[in-house]
Amino acid sequence: MSASTTDSRIHPAIFDSNELRLDGREKVTGEAAYAADFELPGMLQAAFTTSPYAHARIVSIDTERAREVPGVHAVLTGRDIGERRFGRRFFDRPALCVDRALFIGDAIAAVAAETREIAEAAAALVDVEYDELPAVFEPDEALAPGAPVLHEHVDTYYFHAGKRAAVPHPNVQGRRIVLKGNVEEGFARAEHVFEHSFTTPRYHGGYLEPRATVVWIDAQGIVHVVATNKAPFALREQFAICVGVPVGSVRIEPAYIGGDFGGKGLSVDEYPCYFLARATGRPVKYVRTYLEDMRSSTVRHPSRTTIRTGVTRDGYITAMDAKIVFNGGAYAAGKPAPTLLPGLDPKLPYDIPAGRLERTSVYTNTVPGGHMRAPGDVQFIFAVESHIDMIAHELRIDPLEMRLRNAVSGERSDFEDVPYLEPSAREMLEKMREASHWGSPLPSGRGRGIGFGVRHIGGGKAEVTLRAHPSGKIDVITGAAEQGMGILTLLQRVVAAGMELDLERVNVIREAAMTQTPFDPGAGGSRQTHVSGNAALDAVRRLKEQIDANGWPKNGALEVRGVFEAAHGHEAAPHGFCGFVAEVSVDSETGVVEVLDVVCVADVGTILSPVAHRGQLAGGFVMGLGHALTEELRVTEGRVENPSLADYKLPTQVDIPPLRFVNIQDIAGPGPFGAKMAGEINTAAVAPAIANAIAAACGARVTTLPLSAERVLSALRL
Amino acid sequence: MAFEYVEPATLAGAFDALERGGTDAHVLAGGTALVLLMRMGLVQPAYVVGLRRIEGLREIGISKEGGLDIGALVTHAEIERSALVRRFFAPLAETFGRVASVRIRNQATIGGNLVHADPASDPPPMLIALDAEIVVARRGGVRTIPAAEFFRDVFETALEPGEVVTAIRIPPPVDGTRGAYVKFLPASKDDFATVSVAVTIRLAASGVCEDVRVALGAVATTPLRARRAEEALRGKHVTPEAIDAAAAIVVGDVEPLDDGRGSAGYKREMARVWTRRAITQLISA
Repeated sequence: MSASTTDSRIHPAIFDSNELRLDGREKVTGEAAYAADFELPGMLQAAFTTSPYAHARIVSIDTERAREVPGVHAVLTGRDIGERRFGRRFFDRPALCVDRALFIGDAIAAVAAETREIAEAAAALVDVEYDELPAVFEPDEALAPGAPVLHEHVDTYYFHAGKRAAVPHPNVQGRRIVLKGNVEEGFARAEHVFEHSFTTPRYHGGYLEPRATVVWIDAQGIVHVVATNKAPFALREQFAICVGVPVGSVRIEPAYIGGDFGGKGLSVDEYPCYFLARATGRPVKYVRTYLEDMRSSTVRHPSRTTIRTGVTRDGYITAMDAKIVFNGGAYAAGKPAPTLLPGLDPKLPYDIPAGRLERTSVYTNTVPGGHMRAPGDVQFIFAVESHIDMIAHELRIDPLEMRLRNAVSGERSDFEDVPYLEPSAREMLEKMREASHWGSPLPSGRGRGIGFGVRHIGGGKAEVTLRAHPSGKIDVITGAAEQGMGILTLLQRVVAAGMELDLERVNVIREAAMTQTPFDPGAGGSRQTHVSGNAALDAVRRLKEQIDANGWPKNGALEVRGVFEAAHGHEAAPHGFCGFVAEVSVDSETGVVEVLDVVCVADVGTILSPVAHRGQLAGGFVMGLGHALTEELRVTEGRVENPSLADYKLPTQVDIPPLRFVNIQDIAGPGPFGAKMAGEINTAAVAPAIANAIAAACGARVTTLPLSAERVLSALRL
Repeated sequence: MAFEYVEPATLAGAFDALERGGTDAHVLAGGTALVLLMRMGLVQPAYVVGLRRIEGLREIGISKEGGLDIGALVTHAEIERSALVRRFFAPLAETFGRVASVRIRNQATIGGNLVHADPASDPPPMLIALDAEIVVARRGGVRTIPAAEFFRDVFETALEPGEVVTAIRIPPPVDGTRGAYVKFLPASKDDFATVSVAVTIRLAASGVCEDVRVALGAVATTPLRARRAEEALRGKHVTPEAIDAAAAIVVGDVEPLDDGRGSAGYKREMARVWTRRAITQLISA
């Protein structure tokens, strides 16, 4: 670690006041430029012909009628551009399908025309002859004997920076097994063994801004890409590899992103738009409709989890064996982890003396799975936290007490056998008890439930450049994409605090992702405050050294670059613990759940931007509330049934219950000035807290998300 | 999505335009439904006839007979806030206040709502429970259609080609009539109803039900009037047992669809629960 983390734990007063967002004025006045706002001379609009079949061989494509439409400049098919596959790690998703379509919405042909209307009309005239093939929609179908193999030439696909692990079946995207201790012996020691299964559905990110892109190639051959992508430097590499140009000739232009929630780590339409731009010599723009975004971008993986746990009669866990199967959809392109599983190995706030954790993602002919806020955790924490309550209920132990008995402490850990530094599990549970008045009597039909989780603080590499001017001002130069988390404002505050300057003297400049720009990994994995913030502090340290030696620059600017790098998970490190207690009432005639009170206890370290921090925790809760009660992207035989926000119900203001926060700030994290993380700390624990509260209120145990009124009513009658 | 748009200044002009557009013509009132369907590609009109310049479709008034006349272009928000409507029958105004969001209510019109014929829409059950009539004009004539007969299927009405809804006429409720509209929203509170129930009821001093209307939304391809349940209550003492019996009858009348807002079985049962709750709430008010 290169940043001065010891010094950084002194908490400057600057962080006590609410921040004024640097991008706030632009955004509230409508001046902020998002990808869809870019207009260039001669720009063409794209449209796509997409597969109406979940699985089909493309027999032939006739583009003649489409090409004849006045105003059409190019019509391209997979046969025109060849095998061009892209991905975040594993390049298995084609820019345009060549011989097979693997889900409804897969791109078959791309049109560039004078207007969107012309492009769409032409796309509708592309005549595709399909030979429909048997399709698989669920992992068990995909893994059954005789199931069609979705990717026959999987060995020819590019795997970025590493090697793909062997898989047990051609329809498996990725599998990972984590083993700790002697599992058989752990179960032999158990006085009771419990097994339960849980399912979670597909969720869409629900960001306001659908995906959009503009691509053009300038006279020097530089490819300019405006993208709704939160990780522009990663996109730059992915883009260069997919389309076959040197990475040095790709420039990802800065544009604000209107919400990300993980999904915007993958670019989709940028690739075919490049080929259209190349074919026409014009800038090409494509703005998805929301319908298109919900039908064919990426979704949170649906899952089925089975957990078997051995416990003593006092509720101490002796062994846990968990199997999670994710429906990965048609392509693994949206997953950045080398395992091709959603997220890293999920963490638990409990001491698991012996354990086995098996995670598998499977190809199916459905909308591809990708990353979404706390990927993998949402599915697993719902299962584990429900399971713990179900065991506590059987053993007649208070659910909070059962968690306290198993709370991780000292050098102990969960499946990974890597200790948490300064685990706060017990302290958090005690705070949850206190803040929720746990155990105090409630009227009939009401109940309290707890959901508890822990997550690693993301690592990676980041750079930030500082430029000190003779005027006394400092420019902070970053290649970070502002996807809403407030990175620009955060960098300003960290630099001002580090330099001991007023905020007004620190200006933040966004630069396009290109070779000379300070590298930034982008928001994701709850890493941005940690790594980009520490890179800024490293730059501060370097600048101070130079100023100490030579004084503030008098002629011309003084420029330094800060660098920071930390491992991403799987090592002894501080973690973020977070839990909820929810109080609900259940209408026993309708199954309707009303969430009456929620308290969130989070171990967050130093808070650097109080408003953004509160926004992350409140937003993380609301997303979890939607997952718990209202959201489900319904897919029948590969077809998305509710591709609109009228039918895919995100919670709105009227649905949000009273919410209280207790932030534990006295355990320093690895971020600047002792910060931990906020973005993914709390979403996963919401649904189990509500599921457990429902069970406490009325005895109904629902093991499938969302916890709809109908499911609660059915469970009540069991 | 290219189409021709005309805005006639008179009803006669609208009839001309509709004739010219033939089967490709669509009428635009507030536009909240039509534009959404167009954006989703479900409707691709070649010819759109806007009604907003036509005089006389925006008034709310009381007729000689004491009934309420609401022009087809009156918005939901105007009905919701109208002192006249509130004096006439407050639950009617409240029903319009339950539709969608304030942004939609400020734009969407009562005529557009009815012609759109969404079976989960809020006003139709209440209009049916109030014996409202839909006034429909065509070249050379005007006819009225009872609200209970106006809806034929999902997005389908009894309107003939060339006809335009001009007003909604609601007879004066007999003194002492109470009304309620309940909208069952088991997931988000900002949603279409999973089941909705409108009830109007008049009780004698003895507690005997003199008259009652029950209509349900979102439980079939059209809003439904629950006549058998009404008959079970009319002339009887409205006891909890009588309400239960009437509500149980509703279950056999509804034909809900399975969708994201619930299975057919769940909606059937919720139709019973919410019919019972709506009537119970009214008689104990």
